[in-house]
Amino acid sequence: MTGTISTRDDAAVDSFDRRGFLQRSGAAGLLYAFSIVAPVRGARAAGPSQPIGAFVRIGADENVTILVGVSEMGQGIASGIAQVVAEELMVDWSRVSVETVNAGTTYGNPFLRGTQGTFGSLSMRGYFAPMRKAGATVREMLRAAAAQAMNAPLSSLIAANGRVSSASGTMTYGQLAALAAQQTPMDKPPLLGTGRYVGVSLPRTDIPAKTTGAAIFGLDVRLPGMLYAAVVNSPVFGGTVSGALPPTPSGSVAVVGLDTAVAVIARDTYTAFRAAQSLAVKWQLPAGASGVSTASVLTQAQDLMATGEVQTAETVGVAQGTIVAAGTPLDRTYSFPYLAHACMEVLNCTALVTSTSCTIWAPTQAQTSTAATAARLTGLPASAITVNTTLLGGGLGRKIEQDFISQAIRIAQTVPGTPVKLTWSREQDFGADQYRSAALVRARASVDAVGNVSWWTRLVAPSYAYQHGGSTGIDFIAIAGATGLPYAFAGKLVEYVRHPAAVPVGSWRAIGCSINTFVAETMVDEIAAAAGSDPLAFRQKLLADNPRALAVVNAAASLANWTTPPAAGRARGLAFCFSDNAYVAMVVELSQPTAGSLRIFTVSCAVDVGMAVNPDSVIAQIEGGVVHGLSAALWGEVPISNGRASVRNFNNYRMVRMRDMPTINVRLIDGNPNSLGGAGEISVPPVAPAIANAVARLTGQRLRSLPLLRALTGGGTSSGSTSGTAGSGSGSGSSGSTNRSDSRGTGDRSERGEDD
Amino acid sequence: MLTLKVNGKSYTVDAPDSTPLLWVLRDHIGLTGTKYGCGIEVCGACTVLVDGEAEKSCDMEAREAVGKNITTIEGLSPDGSHPVQKAWVAEQVPQCGFCQSGMIMSAVSLLRRKPNPTDSDIDSGVNNLCVCGTYQRVRAAIHRAAKG
Ligand code: FES
Ligand code: FES
Repeated sequence: MTGTISTRDDAAVDSFDRRGFLQRSGAAGLLYAFSIVAPVRGARAAGPSQPIGAFVRIGADENVTILVGVSEMGQGIASGIAQVVAEELMVDWSRVSVETVNAGTTYGNPFLRGTQGTFGSLSMRGYFAPMRKAGATVREMLRAAAAQAMNAPLSSLIAANGRVSSASGTMTYGQLAALAAQQTPMDKPPLLGTGRYVGVSLPRTDIPAKTTGAAIFGLDVRLPGMLYAAVVNSPVFGGTVSGALPPTPSGSVAVVGLDTAVAVIARDTYTAFRAAQSLAVKWQLPAGASGVSTASVLTQAQDLMATGEVQTAETVGVAQGTIVAAGTPLDRTYSFPYLAHACMEVLNCTALVTSTSCTIWAPTQAQTSTAATAARLTGLPASAITVNTTLLGGGLGRKIEQDFISQAIRIAQTVPGTPVKLTWSREQDFGADQYRSAALVRARASVDAVGNVSWWTRLVAPSYAYQHGGSTGIDFIAIAGATGLPYAFAGKLVEYVRHPAAVPVGSWRAIGCSINTFVAETMVDEIAAAAGSDPLAFRQKLLADNPRALAVVNAAASLANWTTPPAAGRARGLAFCFSDNAYVAMVVELSQPTAGSLRIFTVSCAVDVGMAVNPDSVIAQIEGGVVHGLSAALWGEVPISNGRASVRNFNNYRMVRMRDMPTINVRLIDGNPNSLGGAGEISVPPVAPAIANAVARLTGQRLRSLPLLRALTGGGTSSGSTSGTAGSGSGSGSSGSTNRSDSRGTGDRSERGEDD
Repeated sequence: MLTLKVNGKSYTVDAPDSTPLLWVLRDHIGLTGTKYGCGIEVCGACTVLVDGEAEKSCDMEAREAVGKNITTIEGLSPDGSHPVQKAWVAEQVPQCGFCQSGMIMSAVSLLRRKPNPTDSDIDSGVNNLCVCGTYQRVRAAIHRAAKG
């Protein structure tokens, strides 16, 4: 595959490159830091290994280590970026391994202003061009070294398969590495773009260790003399510790106050969990906090819908504040619950603080922020702070946040010189999540006799940006997927009303898009029906000028045999989404075996991410996103009652299991090779609207609130009473009440198993 | 003091004998391949084999495991060559990988009981949670391993 990538930003690439190759001495120190962690079993034979610039190390054993700045949380990105490097470097894939390296500007994503973080489906888009250049740069340094060592003209030397050869001889990269490291990097190394690795489904480098137990996640970090900590976070949103700390439980080492939480340090995780669970903590609660519930949030949202401060996010073809009502507009309201992240690996962080240094081992999506958190808490200079990124057992946006990182550092500060691993119990992970926001949306749309569509949506939702210290303006995370729809609407007005609910919100897989795509795609089906049109034909017309969008819609329809009627008792629903510079269309086929239940048979997806660096990894991400979308669509909700989340563990947060699985068929469209899109999030948003559209076609019932199985049985958003016993613990939230947290997860057998 | 036999080796640890096997394996013995996901027997991340049967180690007190043969993911093969591990790599199953030790141990146990499992055997035999959603590939890998 040749040609330039349209996302390439030469200035960013050059600055990335300068950082990567000119700070060699600084980088070398960072490169080895990860090896402090217990040796990785099954790792390639360790031999002397020569860094060449900041991104590549070559061993005397010819093994090649590619150093990346991304966090690997299952999306295959570390391996994918290594493919990009390996292709230009001209090495054998079987010799390649990948490491995520420390925070430091060298490894920052040019698309995140050079900071290091992995979110927003921005990694391949940000790193592709600079890492490709990095591979080419090192290859040319190896060739230059060979020219010197073999005393041969550069033009006679060919780099391939980890060797540089000329008519007169061959040297391996391992033999050349030390000399190569001393060469001056070229400004514009030639890009070979052979297509040998880029665009090929190579096996991921991280997978073998994930089948043997050798993969090291944050939770698996072990250090000599390490202590273990657990926390109790305020059970009510916004609560702080009041009065004296409870005494240290016997068998534990210490109790540490953390303002919004209390930690216990012990000699193993289980002891720490038990001790944290036994603490009687007094909490000071903000006024009214304990009155916050799903119902109160909804009532507030309804008031804001009617009278809140409206900000205009997008207008197309209409004067601001007006909507052309051609024909009779449909007028619909949609509601969405809070959702948890529920990463398979709970939040955790290991920290070691001394008077002169702070070292962190964490499953973090945000290395630059983590280093900043450490600097702020310890007062140490950046040079004294080391952030080691472990593998992440899922991230989903939750591991961008700094709450668990700062807790671990503060705990470690109380035992200088001793490393401490903080682990949140699953109950804490659910109970003190920063949730995918709830939302209320009103939409009006109409279609005239010749098919012109007028469209108005008003989103009432909390602002992620505002809650994280940003402005009160339009929250572009919340509004994502409501603006920028590729449909050719004649008139469009998109509005946002900020909802200052007390429930903490955070990022999530596809965040705003997971809400707004439901509205857009079910409303498009409704107006198609109002126009007497087939949902596919209606979309084809609205997407006629957008060939990539049209192609995925058509491909999904053909994959699902859209024009052939389904078997009796079944129906199909279609949905489309454009996000992260990628296109996806999806057809769900389902039946309703009994009232209130759904059986999903197939999910057919067509996807265009532009160039897929590793097609099989893209397909895996699409499959995973579909499953994530199914869990959220069918069951996902975190009811709020008495100012706290009612969900405490997986037994009251139902997610897809093997027995629930439909067949997922994915067709990758051969996309524009000069375009890069994100694959990690795009398949989540279309799932719920495709299901709702199928249900409407099957039964005539229109579902407009999530989760759909609750909506199907006529229930609105849960009030919090239906999810087992959670949320009914003691300390129901008056100011200064005493609360015992977590009755489960550490040995109490009485309340388990509802989902099993 | 507790003595446990794990992956054919004997370990003596200083932990209360009511500590769940999961935490003895992870924190005291240092075998971290077995994962904590829920602590209440609903996710399967902690699945190990006890005398060949899949058990959730978060819910088994260490004393119940004394005298039994415990196999963790690290003990399945010395080098990742167990047929289930090979099938997992061939199908590129893991995403984040955090659930996969438990998933693999459940699959091994299922294949011992049913060397040629049907889809419905897999549905009922593998109830582990995978938040990344790798189920379709897990199913394919189990069929692949069964074919040998
Ligand atoms: S940790 Fe044991 S089943 Fe979840
Ligand atoms: S692979 Fe991530 S939870 Fe299963």
